[in-house]
Amino acid sequence: MIIPLLKGLGTTFKAILSKPLTIQYPEVKRPVSERFRGRPELQLHDNGKVKCVACTLCKTVCPSQAITVIEPKEGTYGEKYPVEFVIDLTRCIFCGFCQEACPKAAIALNKEYELAQYDKKMLIYDIEMLKTKG
Amino acid sequence: MVNLTIDGRAIQAEEGITILKAAQAHGISIPFLCYHPAIKAIGSCRICVVEVKPGPPRPSPACTTKVAEGMEVTTNSERIQNIRRELVKFMLVNHPLDCPWCDKGGECELQNLTHELGVAEVDYEAVRKPINNDFDSMLIERYNTRCVTCGRCVHVCQERVGASAINFENRAYFTDLGSGQQPLNCEFCGTCIEVCPVGALINKLFKYSARCWEMTGTRTICQFCGGGCDYMVDVKDGKVLRVRRDEENPLLCLRGRFGFGVLDAPERLKTPLIKKGGQFVEASWDDALEFAAQGLMQVMAKSGPSAIYGVGSPRATNESNYLFQKFFRVVLGTNQIDNPARYNYLKALEGIAQVFGMPEVAGVNPEPLKFPKPFHSSLTLEEGAKGKGFPFVLGDSGTLKAADVVLVIGADVTPEMPPYGWQLMEALQNENFRLIVANPRKTKYDRYAHAKLRYKPGTERALLNGLMEAILDEKSGHTPYLEAAGFEEFTESLRQTPMKDVKEMTGVMVGDIREAAKILANAQAPAIIFGNDLLAQASGKENAIAVANLFLLIGQPGNPGSGLYPIAEKNNTHGVCDMGVLPNMLPGYQPLAAGSPFGKLWNKTLNITPGFTLEEALSRVESNAVTAPQAFYIMGGDLVRQAPNSKRVLSILQKAKFMVVQGAFMTEVAKLADVILPVNIHAEVNGTYTNTDGRLGQLKAAVGGNGAKPGWQIIAALSRKLDYPMEYYSAEDIFKEMSGGVSLYAGIKDGYRWPCPTIAAQIKGNFVPVSIAAEIPGEGPFTLIVGKSAGHSGSYTTWAQGPMTIMGSQVLKINPEDAGGLDIAEGDEVTVQSAQGSIAVKASLNQAMPPGVVFLADHFTDPMANTVTLNSNLCRVTIQKG
Repeated sequence: MIIPLLKGLGTTFKAILSKPLTIQYPEVKRPVSERFRGRPELQLHDNGKVKCVACTLCKTVCPSQAITVIEPKEGTYGEKYPVEFVIDLTRCIFCGFCQEACPKAAIALNKEYELAQYDKKMLIYDIEMLKTKG
Repeated sequence: MVNLTIDGRAIQAEEGITILKAAQAHGISIPFLCYHPAIKAIGSCRICVVEVKPGPPRPSPACTTKVAEGMEVTTNSERIQNIRRELVKFMLVNHPLDCPWCDKGGECELQNLTHELGVAEVDYEAVRKPINNDFDSMLIERYNTRCVTCGRCVHVCQERVGASAINFENRAYFTDLGSGQQPLNCEFCGTCIEVCPVGALINKLFKYSARCWEMTGTRTICQFCGGGCDYMVDVKDGKVLRVRRDEENPLLCLRGRFGFGVLDAPERLKTPLIKKGGQFVEASWDDALEFAAQGLMQVMAKSGPSAIYGVGSPRATNESNYLFQKFFRVVLGTNQIDNPARYNYLKALEGIAQVFGMPEVAGVNPEPLKFPKPFHSSLTLEEGAKGKGFPFVLGDSGTLKAADVVLVIGADVTPEMPPYGWQLMEALQNENFRLIVANPRKTKYDRYAHAKLRYKPGTERALLNGLMEAILDEKSGHTPYLEAAGFEEFTESLRQTPMKDVKEMTGVMVGDIREAAKILANAQAPAIIFGNDLLAQASGKENAIAVANLFLLIGQPGNPGSGLYPIAEKNNTHGVCDMGVLPNMLPGYQPLAAGSPFGKLWNKTLNITPGFTLEEALSRVESNAVTAPQAFYIMGGDLVRQAPNSKRVLSILQKAKFMVVQGAFMTEVAKLADVILPVNIHAEVNGTYTNTDGRLGQLKAAVGGNGAKPGWQIIAALSRKLDYPMEYYSAEDIFKEMSGGVSLYAGIKDGYRWPCPTIAAQIKGNFVPVSIAAEIPGEGPFTLIVGKSAGHSGSYTTWAQGPMTIMGSQVLKINPEDAGGLDIAEGDEVTVQSAQGSIAVKASLNQAMPPGVVFLADHFTDPMANTVTLNSNLCRVTIQKG
């Protein structure tokens, strides 16, 4: 009868001596796994232009139809690029299919997970918001 | 029939067809890349190779190898698949991985083939082909790196379009597509884009606007010329992005493929407009209709219903036009209606009717079906139905290619009716086929013609007279194949003009006439195509009679292809006449008589006093006659631009006390209106069009209304305001009512030609001698021809981006020698002057123009070609530099 009690106390003492596990969120943020899937982000070339060529494969593959608008335009050298790119994060299920489908590695899920908003409209991301590093 | 086995399956196939076709017919798929059903097999890509026993030890291409008795074909052995994979790899060596932004991505045949064959990697390397792209061409971009040199575009352009504008350059590995080291400058029909298996040819208007899987296709009918091609409009987000046809027949013309911009042109009228104090103000539909109804009622109260004059539209559907004439005949109780076909196509119908009689059909079930299928005639035919009259000599454009001799007279086929041109190209594949082209100008088909007759403008009747005379000389004792009255007298009247006089008048050598006559005299299935150049003349009807006389002399309508092919200018020019938008005839060319089935159908005692023709009405207004119309209800047709002598027409229409215009654009006529009711156009409405040879085509709405309304709804709403409710729920309802009264339409449906082919034709004709004197109004050293250009159709396409890119403004085509004499260089501003007026226009030196003849197109309003004409498309003018 006393033995289980002592075992329990033993565990308690062990924990007292180790470093505490509690993370003081939001002051301290826990690093996420390498494979974590946060919000989609448009990737940029070194010159600041989007890598996206507006092929719409991500839009086509998106299972929850979160990618709503990709508006293509022709550039000076005949290249195709998006002038508008809208993702409705209220619909996004963070599956990463868009990243998988992208032939240009132009869209990737970053590690941003603090997406809660008071207003749902804030979660409809346009091209400028999608370009910001998360 | 031959017996063979394909992949172990026993198959029966027709003799002479290829293995590929036999396999396709039995649902066995053989991959291919260069083969296309619209062109002759090329056999260059070798993707379709199959093993054939007995046969050579090497695999044979299925697209060129013909089936034979006892043949054993293997389509997908390991060896064959390996060969195909290697071939695809060779193509991919040079093919850029542009797929994400290439417009063809998703519908690319090379992409599909790569997937199908499982080619994941290309283990070859080679020197890259030098880049030789063409981004400067106006509507079609070329990417040589994407090209797989299958040759489809080259062949379709040569064989089917007849333009030969694109060809291969260089040889072997470095073979490239090209248009002679300069940007592609052709007819811009865009057929090459449609047949290209990869994205080597790109439609500039569509480029990057959508991926193929994002669009939905709706099959509808083209809205431009009278050809009535059915095509597919691809729509994304309520906007038409491109137009294509189908696999079997990819041919469309410039305006068909690139002219869809009219739909969402910024100039489209979207809200009703009422003129207040000389300015148009936007109004609600209810207010505008009320205003229109009040205006019409006031005129009617003062001067009676015959003071209102209606002009139907060759662009509106059959249903709208039918309702329009019903509105006049039933609601207003007058026959004061006509349509703009009066200036060209109607002259052809009237002329042919004089020779072959008005239509009559016997053997129609008098009781209409209660529930016919949508756009099927509610009248059915009894066994042994018989018919006679002019519709039975009108040729079927589907069988034109079966004709053995075609005479094209007074028509420039490509601008006026591209589908006839494609039929001619198909007919030319047959070595016994003979083409005769008679035109004052050099036209595209001159290069294919076996006989060319370059006559002086306005001398068509003299030329036809000479031809008939020469035919009788060629074949002594010749009698018409059809039952014909007045042959003896007619022969004598022909002989009154000796051949040397004909030569004198027409400027054509007697030998040339005799040569053409020899071809015509020996024809088994002759066809005659004639168009605007001949019909729009003041004596257009006489010209049409002369053509009909020639057909009565040599025509054999029993043989496929043989017939008269008058060219209808617009998509529903034929339909507007069929629907009875005529002052003297009810729908289906039925006489205005008390016993007409329409009296019963409409439950109304018909007014049987014929109205004025358009020309009569205009001249009555001009002379301030007591009977002159006071108000106009114009549904379509920019009369100011289209009718000869624009200034006169403008001043006449300005006199109108009240004018309602129902249209899609602010045309010159619409500017004169008191109220404008905006109307939906082709891809926005359901209904039917009737093409130039009487084929019914069904329109399906693909995009939304844009604030405007379908024509028939506007007429019905206006009628309601005039206390005559017209209750129709859809265009089908109207078609059902109309077809119940038109025996000529009995038995037809979408895609059929009227009269129904099961009606046995009893064709009789009588020769009608016509005077051959040529008369061109005005004085001056040059003869002006006002006609059509290949890029445009009426004023309609001047609102669309595609055609305007190719031909953006009016030019005066003039012979370079004439121009040299006047010191005019290409692009110089010149003044064209006649007694009616003068216009300033840029000159374009053109070898196609004979000396002393100049040409203007009638599409543009600035400057308007018809400013200088008097009563015909021909006019004598003086030309000055500056």
